[in-house]
Amino acid sequence: MTELWIAVGIALIALLASIISVEFGLSIAIVEIVLGVVAANFFGLESASWVDFLAAFGAIVLTFLAGAEVDTHLLRTEFKGSLLVGGVSFVAPFVTALLFSHYAAGWSWRAAEICGVALSTTSLAVVYAVLVETGLNRRRVGKLLMSATFVTDFGTALALSLLFVKPTGWIIPFVAVSALLIWLLPKISPWFFRRYGDRVIEPEIKLVFFLLFLLMALGKLSASHAVLPAFLVGLAASQLYAGHDLERQRLRVVAFAFLTPVFFIRSGMNVSLTALGANLGLLVALFGVKVAAKLGAVLPLARSFVGRDSVFFTLLMSTGLTFGTISSLYGYQAGIIDKAQFSLLVTVVVASAVIPTAIAQRWFRPNTEEEVDGMTNGRLVHAEGDD
Amino acid sequence: MYDKILVALDGSEGSKKALAAAVELAYTFGAELHSLAVEGKLPAYAATLGEVDEAKAEKDAFFDRIDREAIEYAAGRGVELHPVKMVGDPADRVVHYAEQGEFDLVVLASRGHSLAHRFHLTGTADKIIDHAPCSTLLVR
Repeated sequence: MTELWIAVGIALIALLASIISVEFGLSIAIVEIVLGVVAANFFGLESASWVDFLAAFGAIVLTFLAGAEVDTHLLRTEFKGSLLVGGVSFVAPFVTALLFSHYAAGWSWRAAEICGVALSTTSLAVVYAVLVETGLNRRRVGKLLMSATFVTDFGTALALSLLFVKPTGWIIPFVAVSALLIWLLPKISPWFFRRYGDRVIEPEIKLVFFLLFLLMALGKLSASHAVLPAFLVGLAASQLYAGHDLERQRLRVVAFAFLTPVFFIRSGMNVSLTALGANLGLLVALFGVKVAAKLGAVLPLARSFVGRDSVFFTLLMSTGLTFGTISSLYGYQAGIIDKAQFSLLVTVVVASAVIPTAIAQRWFRPNTEEEVDGMTNGRLVHAEGDD
Repeated sequence: MYDKILVALDGSEGSKKALAAAVELAYTFGAELHSLAVEGKLPAYAATLGEVDEAKAEKDAFFDRIDREAIEYAAGRGVELHPVKMVGDPADRVVHYAEQGEFDLVVLASRGHSLAHRFHLTGTADKIIDHAPCSTLLVR
């Protein structure tokens, strides 16, 4: 298959995914993954080196955006609770999935580490959508959920970067440049945005892309992964982006129009339905391990922080999508996990975005009946928060 | 006969017909007219906050326009419209709002604006008709 026809195939999938997403109110990411699975398994769509490269860059851009989306004020407000809940939400499934995949499924230690990282995640975006829809983002349960998810995401990024480091001479410049960027970016960005921002040639997006490519290059030289510095650089830029909605929107436009579709479609294309069919038992077991570990560890803590909403809280902490997919794709492209293991992990990750969310909304949704207390003309009526 | 009427709006051609019928009834009976626009669900299982924020902003802008147009339409026919927006499941929200607001009549369209809406149209309309605490008028 020529590279141009691969491009045509991916562009068509991206277009179809957008249409399906709009018509059925589904996340574009899940539709792209599913269509990628269908295209590769039923229509023989193949990948190319440039697709893999763009997918890897899409993953780093997604990580940067995740960092830039962190509400640092919220994190400070709920620091103690979020550190505890978010930390446990990362560690418990990480350790459980690592041990299960190694001892019960016979995966190598390194493959088991990828499994642990991929299944430890909580999807901030899945959580956020539910909270905004229910108005719970303005209540304490919602605020704690969001801030705890930031912490879990940080744990995932940290693990993915540190676990697979091979000590080389390049690790020092990698760490030094990362630290310099995290320190320098908030200082120079306001000036840069003022001087060069708000132009159709988008110097500020080019600055972000340059920094992310630089981190990827240094990460590769040091046999590490740029996900942690990319997350932290995004975090360092979060305050700046909070005051520059237009710039943030333009970055999202570039990411959503081109980079993230390639990432999610490529992830789907790696999934082998044959491998899934041959490992259905393990698939169910891995999903069970993730949810059981989250429930077992987070639920007791959630009870003490949010009381009656603890099951809803814990189920949403059991969701995963973006970081789980990023971790799995990294493991596959680095040769740490094979196609069957990748297929299992991505399927479990997607299932964890859907099933716990559906259960939480269907049976454990907190009462928001007071929503219509204020029938104020023309404004959006939401649950009154307890803040 | 009707003192307080609620019309469900979603920006579709059908909901414009529902608005026209509701305005006509409100004018005829001298009833108080309210509209409820339910923004519907945000993208389920999103991958980034940005996707959710952008979808929410698009819905807000869309429904702000719907409300403005509805107010202008009603005012042009001598009726004052009181619009409200909500997020969530349309059927649940309409039924609950009608209960809380003690409406006499709910007016709704038989067709939504998206393909997905059409697929579960019968379910939504049926649910509202079955559970509404008052009379309902389904406009085709």
